[in-house]
Amino acid sequence: MKVLATYNIKGGVGKTATAVNLAYEAASRGNRVLVWDLDPQGAATFYFRIRPKVKGGGKAIVSGRRDLDEVIKASDYDNLDVVPADFSMRNLDLMIEGSKKPLATLRRVLRSVAKEYDLVFLDCPPSISLASESVFRAADALLVPVIPTTLSIRTFEQLDRFVEENPEVVKDLDVIGFFSMVDRRKRLHRELLVELRAARPDLLDELIPAVTDVERMGVHRQPVTAFSPGSRAARSYAALWDEISARL
Amino acid sequence: MSEVRRFVVTPTDDPAAVLVRLADELSLRAASSTVVERTFLDTADGRLDAAGVVLELRHPVDGSGSASLVWTEDGRTVATHQLALPEAPRFVADLPAWPAADRLAGLMEMRALVPGPTITTRLTVLAALDREEKTTARVVVDTSVLRNGDDLPMLVELHELRGYGREADRLEKRLRAALVLEPFTGSVAAAARAASGAPAFLPSKLRLALHPTAPAAEAWRTVLRALTDTMTANFAGTIADTDSEFLHDFRVAVRRTRSVLQEGRKVLPPERRDEFRAGFKWLGDITTPQRDADVHLLDYPGLLASVPAERAAALEPLRELLVERQRECHGQLVADLRSMRRAQLGRDWAEFLAGDGAWPADDGGEPGSDAPDSLRPAVVVAAERIHKAHTRLVRDGRTIDDGSEPVALHDLRKDAKRLRYLLECFGSLFPASDVATAVKPLKALQDTLGTFQDTEVQAHALEDMAVQLVERGAPAATLLALGAVIEGVHARGAAARVEFAQRFAAFDSHTVTKAYERLSEDAEELS
Ligand SMILES: Nc1ncnc2c1ncn2[C@@H]1O[C@H](COP(=O)(O)OP(=O)(O)O)[C@@H](O)[C@H]1O
Ligand SMILES: [Mg+2]
Repeated sequence: MKVLATYNIKGGVGKTATAVNLAYEAASRGNRVLVWDLDPQGAATFYFRIRPKVKGGGKAIVSGRRDLDEVIKASDYDNLDVVPADFSMRNLDLMIEGSKKPLATLRRVLRSVAKEYDLVFLDCPPSISLASESVFRAADALLVPVIPTTLSIRTFEQLDRFVEENPEVVKDLDVIGFFSMVDRRKRLHRELLVELRAARPDLLDELIPAVTDVERMGVHRQPVTAFSPGSRAARSYAALWDEISARL
Repeated sequence: MSEVRRFVVTPTDDPAAVLVRLADELSLRAASSTVVERTFLDTADGRLDAAGVVLELRHPVDGSGSASLVWTEDGRTVATHQLALPEAPRFVADLPAWPAADRLAGLMEMRALVPGPTITTRLTVLAALDREEKTTARVVVDTSVLRNGDDLPMLVELHELRGYGREADRLEKRLRAALVLEPFTGSVAAAARAASGAPAFLPSKLRLALHPTAPAAEAWRTVLRALTDTMTANFAGTIADTDSEFLHDFRVAVRRTRSVLQEGRKVLPPERRDEFRAGFKWLGDITTPQRDADVHLLDYPGLLASVPAERAAALEPLRELLVERQRECHGQLVADLRSMRRAQLGRDWAEFLAGDGAWPADDGGEPGSDAPDSLRPAVVVAAERIHKAHTRLVRDGRTIDDGSEPVALHDLRKDAKRLRYLLECFGSLFPASDVATAVKPLKALQDTLGTFQDTEVQAHALEDMAVQLVERGAPAATLLALGAVIEGVHARGAAARVEFAQRFAAFDSHTVTKAYERLSEDAEELS
């Protein structure tokens, strides 16, 4: 089982869109996939039309009183299950802080489903905190959407530095950055793309363009490939998954 | 994994009416309806069926979309794969890169998938939705027709979705109220096989139920007939070279036949026995070259793995040589199996096995007059032969020490095989648990002896091939890589040689001796 976390300190960069669409893509290729919506806002849960509620609350899971197994919901798609968001997860930091080995918490919780899934996508809320560190411990890779702006690349570098400076937290964590919501009609995006690629050659080749199909996921409440197969967005997520899965 | 609850609709109403009722009364929403042609795949010995696995090739009948390979268990879809060409996979190497493909590979091993019955199915999927239009359960209605036009029973599957168990329970209640349902536990593949009269799977083991007190001649005849059936069942697959197991099983049946003939002294008339011993020796011998070639090919991936990855490519000329060799040997085998001599042997043998009771004497005299054991109780005669074979194995084994020549171990392997065949062919005369106790330590000993001899034979063959590759002007890299392979084979042989002493000591122990004595006691008690 590989654990991938969509992660960025900033909100609104495409983390949830990435988690939902890549999970759908991976599942349709025969992987057994679980999406865990860690964001109390519950955007991923909403896209899957699932009620944002966890039996007994998120705390029961984090404390180990309830098995993750019991709160998993099937999505409408083969091989793709979801742990819904729960409003109590807004206190994830506090809950994790209160547990015995705070940093190992998520990893421990996930171990119970390791045999059932090939891939887990953790859809993270924006922030860097104790909860994030627990995510870093649990994940094999961070998927970091980067909007081509100077500011975003700076936050990506901060993350990189954190990973470098905290080897005890992030043993073997692969940080995979890629461009998200790229608008080629904007000159600034085009210019920054070239510039940033030169500065960060480790960013993935594939990028996710800014397209209305992705925005329409909120209307359809489906992954983009489910309602618009063959679209530019669908093809981009498929190609992105090719590149990421080759790297795992 | 979420459960699939499966039912047969009884009696089968008009399928269309059933669907309308489900949609109207249960407010299920039609999600899809497709007609597919399904061909079920399995190994000739039904390994997938035995494990509850259904693997099928699906073609959409209206020609829309591509063919796919679908793997289900108890109605649950484990994996699917779109095929670029509508061609079924044959061997493990042809399976899609499914994450769980290892499980199938473990079941199939070296066996090929062969197409079984084909049916045409209309699959209608209906969804139960909640207020958010989220699917909470699915109902799949499956109406199938065989190639000959016969209908299979209509199936209704309730697919529970994980986390929505209560919704599934509620829906099941309503389904049961709307339709007359019986639980269905089999597989559609098995139902199609049964209904289409497809040939049974080849049995992987000899399954006999011999009568302990029946005359020995009858037991011998029953065993020899069963072995003949195995040869017959594997004949076509051997000729077609569908996979290497057909020939393997054919050969095992031949060797067991030879062994049963050998142990048939004083049970069968002596001249006829000699005649058939010679006949089956010939039949065994003509199959040996191809089996050796098959084994080299089966071992090849293992050999490849035993050399460093950068050297592996250099071994390609060896693989080509092996493939070429195997083809030549197969051609020769087919010619031999289709020869007059083989046909004559088959006819004589069938005639010899026909009828029952003891065989007439060679000179045409009273049945059993030249075979004094033929009318004694089968269990007593078998116990005597087992005792003799066991005594001999122990006696010969004790003479072997670290300084013994390899040939001594090869001979001991023959002793062990002889005993093993007796236990396999005549085991059903004795209580099953006593036989199992006797077989287990023997098997362990045989494994070691087998590895030792096989590695010797393999190393030898590879050395021969090295010479041939030199003659063909193979590059030095190939020969170097082959050298490394041969070294690895010798090392495995040496390890088996070391292991032998310990395995034999375990076999030559008080408890094992007791287990063999127990069989003689059984014979006394049963007769
Ligand atoms: N590639 C894209 N093109 C256009 N809109 C996008 C794209 N990716 C995300 N969005 C939109 O941007 C908003 C934020 O995206 P989201 O994936 O929720 O980000 P995050 O999870 O990082 O907060 C959403 O309204 C979403 O529909
Ligand atoms: Mg989000």
